[in-house]
Amino acid sequence: MKRRTLLTAAAATLAAPRLSLAQNTRVLKFVPQANLSSMDAVAGTQYVVRNAAMMVWDQLYGTDGSITPKPQMCEGHEVNANLTVWTFKLRDGLKWHDGEKVTTRDVIASLKRWMVRDTMGQRIQASLDALEAIDDRTFRFRLNKPFAKMLFALGKSNAPVALMMPERIASTDPFQLIKEYVGSGPMKFNTAEWVPGAKAIFERFEGYQPRSEAADWSSGGKRMNFDRIEWIIMPDISTASAALQNGEIDWWENPAADVVPLLKRNRNINVDIGDPLGNIGSFRMNHLNPPFDKVGVRRAVLMALSQADYMQAVVGEDTNLWKLCPSFFTPGTPLYTEVGGELLKGPRNYDAAKKMLQESGYNGERIELVVPTDVPITKAEGDVTADLLAKIGMNVNYVATDWGTTGTRRASKAPVSQGGWNIFHTWHAGADCINPAPYTALDAGGDKAWFGWPKSDKVQSAIADWYAAPDLAAEKAAAVAINQASFENVSYIPTGFFVQYTAWRKNVSGVVKAPFPVFWGVEKS
Amino acid sequence: MFAYICRRVLATIPVMAIVALFVFSLLYIAPGDPAAIIAGDQASPADVDRIRMALGLDRPFLVRFLAWLWDVLRGDLGVSIFTNLPVTKMIGQRIQPTLSLMVITLTLSLVTAIPLGVVAAWKQGSWIDRFSMIISTAGFSVPVFVIGYLLAYTFALDGFELGIGFFPVQGYVPIEQGVVPWFMNLLLPSIALGLVYMALIARITRATMLEVLSQDYVRTARAKGAGQHSILFVHALKNAAVPIVTVVGIGFATLIGGAVVTESVFAIPGLGRLTVDAILRRDYPIIQGVVLMFSFLYVLVNLGVDLLYTLFDPRIRY
Amino acid sequence: MSVSIEPGFAAAPVLRDVLPPRRERGRVMLFIYRHPTIAVGGLLLGLMVLIAIFAPFLHTVDPTALAPARRTRAPNAQYWFGSDMLGRDIYSRVLYGARVSLLVGFLVAAVSSLVGLTIGLCAGFIRILDTVMMRVMDGLMSIPSILLAIAFMALIGASVQNVVIAISVAEIPRVARLVRGVVLSLREQAYVEAAIASGTSTFKIIWRHILPNTLAPIIVQATFICASAMLAEATLSFIGAGTPPTTPSWGNIMAEGRALWQVKPFIVFFPAVFLSITVLAVNLLGDGLRDALDPRLAKRI
Repeated sequence: MKRRTLLTAAAATLAAPRLSLAQNTRVLKFVPQANLSSMDAVAGTQYVVRNAAMMVWDQLYGTDGSITPKPQMCEGHEVNANLTVWTFKLRDGLKWHDGEKVTTRDVIASLKRWMVRDTMGQRIQASLDALEAIDDRTFRFRLNKPFAKMLFALGKSNAPVALMMPERIASTDPFQLIKEYVGSGPMKFNTAEWVPGAKAIFERFEGYQPRSEAADWSSGGKRMNFDRIEWIIMPDISTASAALQNGEIDWWENPAADVVPLLKRNRNINVDIGDPLGNIGSFRMNHLNPPFDKVGVRRAVLMALSQADYMQAVVGEDTNLWKLCPSFFTPGTPLYTEVGGELLKGPRNYDAAKKMLQESGYNGERIELVVPTDVPITKAEGDVTADLLAKIGMNVNYVATDWGTTGTRRASKAPVSQGGWNIFHTWHAGADCINPAPYTALDAGGDKAWFGWPKSDKVQSAIADWYAAPDLAAEKAAAVAINQASFENVSYIPTGFFVQYTAWRKNVSGVVKAPFPVFWGVEKS
Repeated sequence: MFAYICRRVLATIPVMAIVALFVFSLLYIAPGDPAAIIAGDQASPADVDRIRMALGLDRPFLVRFLAWLWDVLRGDLGVSIFTNLPVTKMIGQRIQPTLSLMVITLTLSLVTAIPLGVVAAWKQGSWIDRFSMIISTAGFSVPVFVIGYLLAYTFALDGFELGIGFFPVQGYVPIEQGVVPWFMNLLLPSIALGLVYMALIARITRATMLEVLSQDYVRTARAKGAGQHSILFVHALKNAAVPIVTVVGIGFATLIGGAVVTESVFAIPGLGRLTVDAILRRDYPIIQGVVLMFSFLYVLVNLGVDLLYTLFDPRIRY
Repeated sequence: MSVSIEPGFAAAPVLRDVLPPRRERGRVMLFIYRHPTIAVGGLLLGLMVLIAIFAPFLHTVDPTALAPARRTRAPNAQYWFGSDMLGRDIYSRVLYGARVSLLVGFLVAAVSSLVGLTIGLCAGFIRILDTVMMRVMDGLMSIPSILLAIAFMALIGASVQNVVIAISVAEIPRVARLVRGVVLSLREQAYVEAAIASGTSTFKIIWRHILPNTLAPIIVQATFICASAMLAEATLSFIGAGTPPTTPSWGNIMAEGRALWQVKPFIVFFPAVFLSITVLAVNLLGDGLRDALDPRLAKRI
């Protein structure tokens, strides 16, 4: 090596720290809400997985900011008058990341896998006569019952998302995770550089043909301004906050509310509400085990529960971030209604709740409260619940555990003495609670319902009414009935509505408010 | 000499076997069903059973242990439950940051602690002795994460507004991408991690030096008019080396434990972070792999230490 | 403190002392002078123990009472050390937290000493057991202690009792080795050999000759174990694998507050200071005891 090359090399090494500070405008460094442990948004329902998968795989339809389905991989569709025959045509020039053309074989295989896992998909499957290819670009659903919500089902961004994969990948068992990550979306997934728990790398797919329309959520032209998007996993809030202030990362999906004042003071950082549809906190009881098998006991807790306590514990005192939500539906969306939620309003009455507990036959049974302490939101909810139940004289056993174990334990229908449970907490993305279709937690079909297994025929028939509703007015009427019946049954208790901030460096532009981080259209200068 | 080395190397085999048995049985009796976790929210009991069979979770203990051991010996540590990636690959991806952190910490600790200990012993009772001993006792008493946050606040965020926020606050830059950024990223974590280690080494150095300095041959050397430096660093330190090296070896465990915490504080994508994540998610194959690997490393380090003895002190023959 | 005797009358002028007057001290002062580290460490530790015992009477409130509407308040007249993310009083939590830390420290020290002592004695006296037990101990010691404790906690779930077990398991081999070493060296002593030769029962030998001699190193070792157990408890809680979050412990308060150390440093600050002072106190005590009880050991470290 000549001396000059040596010197240049040395100079380059010395200059490297500056480059490493996210200076390159073609690379975006992003801190997601949680670790990315898989890439399958059909078999898995984690939000973080969905967010990653939305870059790598594309959908037949997308949804825009008004939650209206718009064609994405499809050119358009035709449907007969009674909504039973749906014909779709793929647009020209769609390619997989490996260069192969997207065909209807791939699409049909992907839809079949998705229909097994998704609740709306299962409804389609139930009335499906045939799902058939007409040619390489045209395919058709033939149903024996009308299905009005077809486009929404294909275009919704709630997991399981109807993502299109090559046939060989789509033929994976729907209950197993896919092992190959080839899609047709605007970014390719770099498997070689993936370090689960630390980082995930996405690279621009040169062969992607964006639509000509402007991008709006998952609809329109998904134009990527980055060659590389690096997801850096930072479980530690303070580390992420410091990294953003230091310019080591460009965008932090979910900064904790408590560090937001600090970020706002920094001249180089923008902070705004990320997902306007926010989240609804959930206090979930097991309807099979005493004492919560008695509706009176569930209602007694509902009477004493203060949503303000939960929300302050979860996101703090900043009232921009939360509001009371005496409803099962997302505030600000068309179906939102407070009818039936009266018990959650007004001052809390512990004495009345105590009295009601006794009258409904609570005998001092020990309540197994399962709290995943590794997730700040569920931990805060669990702490408030422990305090609340103690206040109304219930005997609480606070079981501190992690989210993975909670996931196992909540699936158990056994009595408490045999490893069962009484209460766990979670939250539902507001985007999932806009209507009953993506809203698994709302279902009250007993054994077949989501964990807790609430059973109410009134709720079920009201949900059926919604599916059959021909127009918005009828949908709204159904929603009122659902809300009322769900509160009567206390299917679960909403602990309030909250939104979360997102924060990015000022040199990044084009960050939009959406139910998931939208990377297309974002730029860095 | 050769026979000794052979015996010493062979002696590590039963130790490793016991570690393997222990690690395996620890997780064998673990509560929580990994099959149910993989199956996910909407799976039926039949699905869970199918997965359990596929993972071989239904076989008896000894069969599973031997099967596992055989795989381990062939370099197959299994597949992570959550990511479906081979454990060896996941460990491989993360070994560089952890090793780098340890190497820098070790170097830093030795370079500062040994002179500190020597000077403290030389000037026994002086302010420098007292000061260094106070610092080292404090090093034992403050949790690693508190030191880490304090360092990051001062030297990365410049929280005290001293104009010294030169360092990156988190992350890791592979050494291929430049030695300087690699070092800059690891300096603060190394100091945080190394403080306990430094304290340990400084104390043992001081103690053994005091002992050695009172020996006859040192007095002889002094009497012969050997220079202060030569007495301290040639005669005395060489003879104090054995206990120092022993402590360096034993303290390595502290280093590994500290790395788990330090990597979390500074978001370094190393084995420590992998361990914590795996334990929170009950990812058995990874827990087994990491504990086994760290233990192997630890045994190896101590083997190295034992072999070093023969270099420092040719009289040692066990 | 020097008392000079002024002669009221003098037969002859008092001679000047050849040596400077010997200072007379109280016994307490003498002890402090001889063993300053024991004095300082013991005093601080005693203070912490008092705080732990009398926590309910030291102007504290219920350390688990929530008040989400008054969360993350900076230290003020109502909340002396501020309030945490759920509006709990940090002053009360820190004071009650002393109980957990000290309990864990003392219990781990006691459990690992007793179990380690038993194992060490058995290994030292029963030849057949020696190899097996020591190999097992070697194996256990080859697993870095925090990793071992984390793995254990993940297994048996969070509770104070389990924290004690998990940390003890990691410490037992160290005590066992220490005791075995002492036993082996004592066995070679003439008086022990004589006792064995004269047919004294093994139990009696252990009781008369071995135990008393192992006591000093064990006490010293136990103090250091106590200190490292308190740190380990904090570390485990920090990672999220320690004392259950409903129990206020210093580790838990710091674990919960660490997310906010940049904006609300006081949440981490107070428990960190208390923990550091306590561990320091125990370490000082250990240093002092070692110097006082076992001068041979003192030379070692």
